[in-house]
Formats: sequence, structure tokens, C-alpha cells
Amino acid sequence: MLTLPQPFEDLGHTADLGVRVRGATAGEALARLALALGALLAGGGPVTPAAEVRIAVGGGPGLSGTAVALLRELLFRFAAHGLIPAAVEVLRVDEAGAEAVVRSGRYDPALHGEGADVKAVTWHLARLEPEGEGWVAQVILDV
Amino acid sequence: MAIRRIEGDLWELPREGRMKVPGRLYSVGPPAPDDPSLTQVRNVAHLPGILRFSLAMPDIHWGYGFPIGGVAAVDLDDGAVSPGGVGYDINCGVRVVTTALPAADLRPHLHAAATRIYQQVPAGVGASRAIPRLSARELDEVLEAGAGWAVRRGYAAAGDDAERCEEGGRLEGADPGAVSERARERGADQVGTLGSGNHFLELDRVDEVHDPAAAEAFGLVEGQVAIQIHSGSRGLGYQVCDEALAELTPRFAGFGPDYAALPDRQLACAPVSSPQGRRYLGAMQAAANFAFANRQVMTGLAVRALGEALGLSDRDLGARLLYDVCHNVAKVEEHLVDGRPRRVLVHRKGATRAFGPGDERVPAPYRALGQPVLVPGDMGRCSWVLAGTERAMADTFGSSCHGAGRLLSRGEALRRARGRSITRELEARGIVVLARGKKTVAEEMSDAYKDVSDVVEVMARAGITRPVARLVPLAVIKG
Repeated sequence: MLTLPQPFEDLGHTADLGVRVRGATAGEALARLALALGALLAGGGPVTPAAEVRIAVGGGPGLSGTAVALLRELLFRFAAHGLIPAAVEVLRVDEAGAEAVVRSGRYDPALHGEGADVKAVTWHLARLEPEGEGWVAQVILDV
Repeated sequence: MAIRRIEGDLWELPREGRMKVPGRLYSVGPPAPDDPSLTQVRNVAHLPGILRFSLAMPDIHWGYGFPIGGVAAVDLDDGAVSPGGVGYDINCGVRVVTTALPAADLRPHLHAAATRIYQQVPAGVGASRAIPRLSARELDEVLEAGAGWAVRRGYAAAGDDAERCEEGGRLEGADPGAVSERARERGADQVGTLGSGNHFLELDRVDEVHDPAAAEAFGLVEGQVAIQIHSGSRGLGYQVCDEALAELTPRFAGFGPDYAALPDRQLACAPVSSPQGRRYLGAMQAAANFAFANRQVMTGLAVRALGEALGLSDRDLGARLLYDVCHNVAKVEEHLVDGRPRRVLVHRKGATRAFGPGDERVPAPYRALGQPVLVPGDMGRCSWVLAGTERAMADTFGSSCHGAGRLLSRGEALRRARGRSITRELEARGIVVLARGKKTVAEEMSDAYKDVSDVVEVMARAGITRPVARLVPLAVIKG
């Protein structure tokens, strides 16, 4: 299981936030993408993982669609219940969907006040695909 | 990428490949061919049923699917509605409230007044509980009635606020039943909250009047205080858009070859007349009404807080809503196309309606002058009140710019702000800044934006909108 912090690149999107991560496998890249979302929501504040849940989402089109689907679900859990993903293990990822074990910490305005107000996970330029020796994943987040 | 100048600040991206119409761009200076937002203008030109042009206003910048600053009108019978062409923050918009308060009288109490408003209007990530959480029935009423719902509960500058909003503060056709449980969960306790990012509430001073007749009709007097509020439909609207895109993205190619040929999945769309298109429109219209109500509740809270902070009665404060405009919306409107009146669906993604003089859709007090067009700038420079023109009706489906337009990514803005205190820099210039976090202030600093006056000037030179008055910030509240 990967935990915060994990490395990610800023794509330099003008209006919103674009992030790109790499991993040895599709699952590792997707877990890092989920944790990049967690890092942006936490705004550099510490997140103590507590509740652990198993999340399954339907996927497609393509692997990038599955990546978007998992992040959409995590963002809804943050928006509705204040849960920031802090540790993620992707058990399965394919075009039909993904399954992950996620440990989350609760949003605290005192700790996470510099976090991004992420409105949505977009499909624009979304990627989850092999590149070089490993895998690359990226999304543009609407903020 | 091929770009040719049409005239002045207007440029064309010629029709190529499967583009259905050319792109047309109003630009501050010559457009950069490698600007990704130009590719997005071209992509939008592929939308089924798009009419005349894929348009971009001079505050254009890189969005997702549509560029920010994009306008696309489609035929109602065989055109497509694109949730991405509206955006996640459905009916993100801005309003200006005028007052009878001289800025000189506010100045000694500015910090206290701004603080009072900051305490009354929740701001920041996940801000909630400006008013008690709404029951399911009350939320349905908000989704149906828009600004009027809030006015009836006393959240108002004056009793006629709703009439002084675009579309009377309520989009027809709203279908609360099409708004999901998840969207309701995200929005039920967010009515009357500002949010974060580029949303703001400002106390401004009317700095310069450029069109005295229009300024008088709009209630703008040099040296007096105005309140400006920029926010949208909060989590409810984000979820409505998100779910519509999730439904359409795997399926839109099935609507036909024109749909299958769309170059970006974020342009996922459905025929306006299809069950999917109608369902999205009903939910989007409901979310737009939620946004009208959100800004209306904040108006009531801010006006009350300002009066209390200064010990002024409602009468002495003299607050009056000037106007409220949508920035992210798709609306059924009648326009002249090839000399014939046609009902079309106009997507405005980071653009403002700018109807000209004489149009019955403009509130009666402003009808002879053109619709008020409210264009916020960045928090260190200025904002503008403009008026719509007949040229806008002829050239841009009655649309103009919506703001300054970002120049820098958020990461680059943070890098350039390193070692500086943007709040202190603004305070040294007499601008009070109250914000939940330093990072948002740095991301939103003036350097991150084009100069809104340059953007407004392009629209004025093209005859699309006419400058009426300039507002300068006195106090800025950010999430």
C-alpha cells in the first residue's frame, strides 16, 4: 500500500490543476494518481489514515476512463464526508473498472486550509498507459 | 495552426478537417499559435449543429474541452448540448450591488466592515451552513425558484432583486427530479457560501464613470461603495456536470458519426432533443437556479453585515442590486442567424450575455441602454461595468468577456509569489484582504491574470460592449 506523500508532476495547466505520476505497473501509477489528489486536498497538511474501505468502480472508456472513475469516487467522498485519501492499494485495474483499498483521514480546516478546492476530475488529457519501462497516469482537475 | 486576421483584434481559425464552422477569436495582441486554448476553439467547432462560429472572447485561456472564454450556439433541432460547454461550476456568475455609501465614510471602518461580512458569509473549501441546512422540500424549492426563493426569505438588498438578474434569477425548465441524491448531498448545506479559488466577495469604490447616462440608470455614482460577489452552484452544480459527463462519455459516439468524430472526450454531448440531452438540461437549469439563490443569500448576508458594521439603516445604506450575470451556462435564446430569427442553445463557458439596447429580455430600467455586463478583474487592479450592444447581437450571439483571463498556472503563480506577502502588498495600497489561506491569495494575485482593462478595451474596440464604469477594490474576501 502506497502512502502520502508520493511524487507527482504539475502539468502547468493555466486555469486548473494538471497532475502526472509514474509507476512500475498500472496499479501503482493509479494509486499515485489517487494520492496526488489526496496531497492537493490536504494542501501540505498532515493526514492521519484511519478508516479503511474497499472501493470498486466501473471503468472505461479505456484505462484512462477507469482512472477518472476512481478519482471521481474519491473526490465525492471528500466533498460529502471530508475524507482525504492517504494510503491506497489498487487491487485491480482494467477497462471494466478498478478495485482499491483506501485509507483516509478526515479533513480539518486547521490543518488543511491550504488545500485545493477541487470541483471535479475531468476527462481532458486523462491518461493511464504504458510509457517507457513503466506506466504513466495524468488528469486535469477543475479547481 | 493557421490563423488569419479578420480586422482589428478579431482573428479566424479557418475551417479544416471535420470542423463544421471556423473559429473566431477576439485577442489581446496576436494569438500565439501554440496556445492550447486555440486547439480547444477548433475542437468546439466540431460540435454537431454548431452555428456560424466557435467563438472565443479576449479573456480566453486553456480550459478542459471548451476553452474558458468560449461561446458556441447550436441549432435546437439538430444540435448538441455539451455539459463541458457549461462547465462544472454551473451558473458561476457575478453580481454587483450599488449603495448610497460614500467610500470616504467607509474607509475608517473598512477592516471592521470587511471582517463582519467575512464572519457572516462562509468561505473556503467545503464552506457550509450560512443558513440552516435545507430540507429536501426546501432544496426542491431553491432548484425551482432560484433567486426569488431567497428574496422571499428576506435575503435581499431590495424587494426587486430577482427582477434585476439575468433571466429574472430563474431559468425556465428546471427539473429538480433530475438532480441526483449525491448532488443534493454536496449542496444541501452550501446555499449562501462563497467557496474558494477565484470566487470572491469585494467591497469596491466606483472609481471612474465612462458613460454618464448608463451609469445613472445603473445606479453607479463616482466615489460610492459597491459590493461585488462572484460564486456559483457549489458542490451541487459540480456533481450535476460530473454525472452528466460520466453518463455521456462512454456513449456519445453512439449518437452518430459527427459525435464519434469529436476530438476531445471532455466535449461529450448529446442531441438537445434526446432523453439524455433533455435530462441534463433540466438538471443544469435546476443547478443554475441554485447558483442564483446562492448569490442572493450572500447578498442579503453581506448587505446586513455592512449596515450593522456601520450602524446604518437599510434606507441610509441604500443597497440595490445592479445586476447578476451567468458566466457558465447554456440557454435557449432567439437570435438572428443568416437574417432569420432562430431559437438556438447558446453555450457560454466563461463568457457573459451582453444583449443590446431595446431587447425585451433586458430589465426595463436598463432596456434603452443595453444589458449591464459585469466583468470582474483581479483583486489588485479593477473591475468593469459595461453595457451590451447591437453589434454583440450581430457578431457574438449577444456575448462578451467574463473577466481578466488567467496568464499563469497556479503553480507558476505560487513560484512567483515565493518570499512575498501578497496580502501585505495589497494592504500597502489600501486594499484589505481577508482569506482562509495564503495559498489562494498567492494563486489569485494580480500577476497571474491579464489586465482586465486590456480585455475590456478589445471588446469596446470591436463594438461588442461599451464601458460604463470602473470599480476599484477596497476590501477582498477570498475562500
